[in-house]
Amino acid sequence: MSNPAEWVTERLPISGDQLRELTNEPVPYHLKRWWFALGGTPAYLFVVQIITGILLAFYYEAASTSAYESVRFITEEAAFGWFIRSVHKWAATLMIAAVVLHQMRVYFTGAYRKPRELNWMVGMFLLICTLMTGFTGYSLVYEQLSYWGATVGANIADTVPVVGGLIKNMMLAGETYNERTLSRFFILHAAVLPVMMVMLIAIHIMIIRLQGITEFQFKDELDTDGKAATPKTFNFFPDHLFTELIIGLLLMIVLSALATIFPATMGPPADPLVTPEVIKPEWFFYVAFRWLKLFTGTAAVLSMGFIVFTMFAWPFIDDWIRRKTRFQEASVWIGIVGVLAIIGLTVWEAVVKH
Amino acid sequence: MTLETKRFIIAALGALFLLSLVFVQWLEVTRKAEEAGLRQAHVAVPASSKSCVDCHVQTNPGIISHWEGSTHAEKGVACVECHQAASKEADAFLHYGVTIATVVTPRDCARCHVTESEQFAASHHAKAGNILASLDNFLAETVEGARLDFNPHSPTPGKAVESVNGFASAFSGCQQCHGSKVALQSTDGGMITTDDLAPDANGIPTNLDAVGQIVRDDNGRPLFHPGTWPNTGIGRLNLDGSRGSCSACHSRHDFSPRRARQPENCGKCHLGPDHPQKEIFEESKHGVAYRDLKDDMNLDATSWVLGEDYAAAPTCATCHMSGHKRNGGEITHDPGERLSWTNRPPVSLVMDTDINHAIVKVTDPEQRRALIVDTAENKRDRMKLVCSHCHTPDYVNAFYQQYDDLVILYNEKFAKPGQQIMATLASQGLRSKTQFDEEIEWTWFYLWHHEGRRARHGASMMAPDYTHWHGMFEVAERFYTELIPQAIEIVDHAAATGKGAQAREVRAVIDSILDRPEHAWFREGAEGEAEKIRKEMERRYGQGLKTGP
Repeated sequence: MSNPAEWVTERLPISGDQLRELTNEPVPYHLKRWWFALGGTPAYLFVVQIITGILLAFYYEAASTSAYESVRFITEEAAFGWFIRSVHKWAATLMIAAVVLHQMRVYFTGAYRKPRELNWMVGMFLLICTLMTGFTGYSLVYEQLSYWGATVGANIADTVPVVGGLIKNMMLAGETYNERTLSRFFILHAAVLPVMMVMLIAIHIMIIRLQGITEFQFKDELDTDGKAATPKTFNFFPDHLFTELIIGLLLMIVLSALATIFPATMGPPADPLVTPEVIKPEWFFYVAFRWLKLFTGTAAVLSMGFIVFTMFAWPFIDDWIRRKTRFQEASVWIGIVGVLAIIGLTVWEAVVKH
Repeated sequence: MTLETKRFIIAALGALFLLSLVFVQWLEVTRKAEEAGLRQAHVAVPASSKSCVDCHVQTNPGIISHWEGSTHAEKGVACVECHQAASKEADAFLHYGVTIATVVTPRDCARCHVTESEQFAASHHAKAGNILASLDNFLAETVEGARLDFNPHSPTPGKAVESVNGFASAFSGCQQCHGSKVALQSTDGGMITTDDLAPDANGIPTNLDAVGQIVRDDNGRPLFHPGTWPNTGIGRLNLDGSRGSCSACHSRHDFSPRRARQPENCGKCHLGPDHPQKEIFEESKHGVAYRDLKDDMNLDATSWVLGEDYAAAPTCATCHMSGHKRNGGEITHDPGERLSWTNRPPVSLVMDTDINHAIVKVTDPEQRRALIVDTAENKRDRMKLVCSHCHTPDYVNAFYQQYDDLVILYNEKFAKPGQQIMATLASQGLRSKTQFDEEIEWTWFYLWHHEGRRARHGASMMAPDYTHWHGMFEVAERFYTELIPQAIEIVDHAAATGKGAQAREVRAVIDSILDRPEHAWFREGAEGEAEKIRKEMERRYGQGLKTGP
């Protein structure tokens, strides 16, 4: 038998050079700045979610009669169950926060512009999938707030013109929350949405690789005469991977600390006959929840749909504004207003009781 | 716009976003911890009660402190929500711009707690004020005290006592458990109660003359009769016509579920020589387990369902009131719903109840069937459901056999005979109609009211010492060494004073009782019985009865 390297190469005809070329994608120098590396953070947290999610799924039972008890078992009896569940909960929060920060960075640096419009839209799909995963995950605990949060969510969907009833029916597996609803949420949360996200992440990264990362040059990178220097790059492997690893390890410390200091708790079990005085979704829906409370019924849902559509189509809208008007930096000011509005509405919903 | 400016914008917005995230997460974590009962909820004082709290936190910090720890406070129910009153209510007064009443009655609580107040109204607890016309009340108001104010017969150094309140024992004793008839001071020096006010269905007085006579202070605040208020007796007769006091069990102003779940709460009244239920519980295996396992009882939990939230041990509330896994967690505020005997009267009665929750006492089976709405068996089955969380059906049924046997033994051997002797003495005119003016009346009262109840309650809750030494032993002693001799003495005295016919009637009753086989030992001796017991002991344990200590 030949040596092991040859044995492998014969069966997997990829040369070391090819592998090096694949991993040694030159990375623009600005990625040395950690805030440009935020795209890897949600990906890292996604992996954490998959691992902890699989562990939780070993114990979770997606039936209205046993869901709450199974979560209680995980939290109170299964070895390290409380830790795994708490890490899963906090990683979800950090993942959404990282997605938002990543999107902010991309937005304000105009990295969504031609030719990267499609990747922005893929990112938007990833954002929607992340939020949907959060929503369905919150419902699985089957405590009072998760039950009523899901019910309110379905009722909001119901107000969408024409297709609202169908969406609600699809969500709940019937007109109202029933014994089949939970298994539907579980399959969406643990299978459909993660698989979609894996595919979307693959497309997201593939497009980045095909187009290369947007290149920026900061003043401190200019030559002494103030002119642009030859763009500096460094290798993805191992340089950038180490940056990502450092961020990942730091995240693991933060996650462990949060999970230990603020472990996931359980509210009262779901009771379809008792409506809680206060119904709140998870924090990342506060902005939408508050928006819906500001307007009534269909107007609220349609305006929200319009905002989401605008976000999807923003690269094209921005392009149109830049071509047709003199407001070249309009996107920055709109972005500032948008971010402040998101923060304001979220905090507003958090501080009021009803 | 330069890249540096954009960098600054991203940094500023990112930092703001992260800060808001930390803030929102802090609120979230706090809210979840409150939901899970791990942290005391943040209390926001409702605007309507803000000035009350601001002032009373200075004048009565204890009240505010208790309220702040209550579920009411968590849910925004504060001073005004409970103390608010309609201006036409007898005890209403304007207090810094808000019309309130001092006494919060079940009618007030029913504004939110409808089911609970209905269950309570149907309970024996709500009728505890009926004692105000009973033998116990006669004892307190006449025998122990006096139904009048009388002059002191000698000076009290250091205190100017002008008159003695003859009702003091009733006010501070009986009525603090059974409930007072809450009264306002009248301009004629008397009392104005619900009887005078004749409140309508909404609790508003219809007798305006009585309302006009209410004595008020300079601020328009009505003055309560100090004998009747403060009072948290469970059967309190309130000015608005309602009965009861929710704070009897749910102490104001924290209304603590934890406290209501503990036996000490019931022990405010259910203790002492005549109904020592708390001490009986403490002696029982239930009480022993409770003392040991109290920390596992989840007493602070919002939901307190036996079999779901705890199963370590029972308390009074567990068996008599609380929800359990087998009844869907349904709580009752009528503790009689699970009782199959009432051991309160001289002779225990089976708890077959009519539509008004009163015990059906007729003996004709047809009539009973027509009247009974809820049978004692139904009530017992409800209790058995509680028992079944820890005991098998055979175990529970055998316990009930032991309990029934004890109650029936007491009824048949001592209570009914005692009652027959006392009734015959009265019907033959050999004792006066006035209670407690003759020794035998005290004897009989001790027998059934104290010792007889202790025996029966002891058996009902598995306390052997209360059943035997504090119970049946003393019943027997009282019966054989006091009741029978005193009855015979009365008979002999009657025969010697020209009341031969009456004496013969009573004597015949006493003889017929003592001739019964269960009393035969008393007249004929029991030497043979003692020998039988000695032989049985030898057979069982290989040694006879020890003599001496």
